Amino acid sequence: MGLYILAFLIFPGFLFSTAVGLLSSWVDRKVSARVQWRVGPPVGQPLFDVLKLLGKETIVPENANRAVFLAAPLAGFAAAMIVSTILWLANLFAVSFVGDLIVVVYLLVIPSLSVMIGGFASGNPLATTGANREMKLILAYELPFIVCLAAVIVKSDLGIQLTAIAARPAVLSISGLLGFLVCLLCVQAKLGYPPFDVAEAETEIMGGVYIEYSGVPLAVFKLMQAIMLATLPVFLATVFLGGLHFNGWGILWSILKYLLVIVLVILIKNTNPRLRIDQALRFFWRYLTPVGILAVVLAIAGRAWGITWL
Amino acid sequence: MIDMLAELRTSHGSRILGAEHGSPRQTFVTVSDSDAPTIARHISEKMGGRLVTITGLDTPDGIELLYHFAFDANHSLLTLKTRVKKPDPRILSLAPHLPGAEWIEREIHDLLGVVFEGHPRLERLILADDWPAGVHPLRKDEQQ
Amino acid sequence: MGWKMWALKKSPWVFHVNTGACNNCDIEILELLTPRFDVERFGIRLVGTPRHADALVVTGVVTRQAAPRLKEVYRQTPKPCVVFAIGACACSMGIFKEGYHVAGPVDKVIREEDPNAIILYIPGCPPKPEAMILGVVKALSLL
Repeated sequence: MGLYILAFLIFPGFLFSTAVGLLSSWVDRKVSARVQWRVGPPVGQPLFDVLKLLGKETIVPENANRAVFLAAPLAGFAAAMIVSTILWLANLFAVSFVGDLIVVVYLLVIPSLSVMIGGFASGNPLATTGANREMKLILAYELPFIVCLAAVIVKSDLGIQLTAIAARPAVLSISGLLGFLVCLLCVQAKLGYPPFDVAEAETEIMGGVYIEYSGVPLAVFKLMQAIMLATLPVFLATVFLGGLHFNGWGILWSILKYLLVIVLVILIKNTNPRLRIDQALRFFWRYLTPVGILAVVLAIAGRAWGITWL
Repeated sequence: MIDMLAELRTSHGSRILGAEHGSPRQTFVTVSDSDAPTIARHISEKMGGRLVTITGLDTPDGIELLYHFAFDANHSLLTLKTRVKKPDPRILSLAPHLPGAEWIEREIHDLLGVVFEGHPRLERLILADDWPAGVHPLRKDEQQ
Repeated sequence: MGWKMWALKKSPWVFHVNTGACNNCDIEILELLTPRFDVERFGIRLVGTPRHADALVVTGVVTRQAAPRLKEVYRQTPKPCVVFAIGACACSMGIFKEGYHVAGPVDKVIREEDPNAIILYIPGCPPKPEAMILGVVKALSLL
């Protein structure tokens, strides 16, 4: 029990995920800067941002719901930490239990939900608009996300344990590849990156959901975003790419898998303008969901006829 | 340019108090303040002039208002000069007939204190909300 | 207070306020924030709301109408924060010194709200982006 608490707080929980997250955030900003022919920030910049935010005063608006306003970032952050711990434990030490895939999928919704609830509790019409859009975005991308995970579950002989799924890399088959691509776009929306950053549209609604946040709650939100940036590529690597193993050559492969997902996310982020919320909904429901359903059908067909590359 | 002046002389010759050329393309025509709005309407509606703007100036003899009309076809400018007596400067408004003059007249009202009779909405336009009423900054006798 | 100021110097997030400028300084600030001058290497980032800001970049002489609004924006910015007065008009009213519509230069209006405000001046009409970067870096190193 004590070991689990240690794992939760230090490695691979709070400290480790935060460090990896801030480092990934720096990689994101540096690559984006290079794409724009700039120099970009120094390595410690995301850490400086968080430290600075911790030193600012917290302003709670008058007609905001004070309890929810201050609790929302903590809820999201806690959920992100738990997800990170589960995923890293499953990958590094093969600590897993039946159904932990379902638990992870449920917990991965909570950070987006907390952002939305925080926006609604802010008492600002711009924040409400942003939270409204975040709500619709969650509805949009959860559907193809779950459908593609169904494809992966079918491929791994109907096992819903992370280690079992990670044993067979799904991306080596057509349905797995389709699923990977669809889930990559869903992860883009989950992270709140362009082209799906309509909830935090800086030029339009002045910061959207985060408009009234300042000081420590904003720092917690930033940490939550950093941990999500570290966790979601690990999730994709576990479910589609065969997991991260740290024995011998496995270390290099694991780092490459992680970097592959991150670089794909950054490149999509830098080459696309922002989609409106109705365009995003249409994109996820009308175009990506059929692709996901096709992936499930191919997976079932492959399993029924014993063809592994379908 | 000569045509515009000649046409004005034929239509309103009796009311023109003076005319001079500022440059080959600009003519100043001086009229009295009771005739200015009707002549301005004539220039805009019958002669095809486009109202550019209305400018105002505080002089010892009253507030001088200049109505600038552009004739884009021959690249020329016709300016109607008139003087409104102080205190209580009043003149008929062009706004009901020329919607573009609405805000211009509000600005002149704010800064020089000219009251445009018949203006649909003569309210404060560009002075600050807490500016004292009755103080018109562009008048020469105002203290800073 | 020491580590808060140190962190603020490492990552100053900027919110732009125009209190009656002719927009020349605003155009230069817009150019400053483009990828060519790359202010992200200093940690500077443009934010959309004063609540996220550490530095208020104020341009323009403060008109009578804008003065209460500037004070409100300053109140909404979480402390500790600094104020950059950009341009001749913001530093000392410039050519509008005798104007009837001005409430004062930026430091006079902000000091009415908070006598201990930290105000940094970058003169110019308008200051070039290079001059603004030099001014910001020098000023932050003095804090």
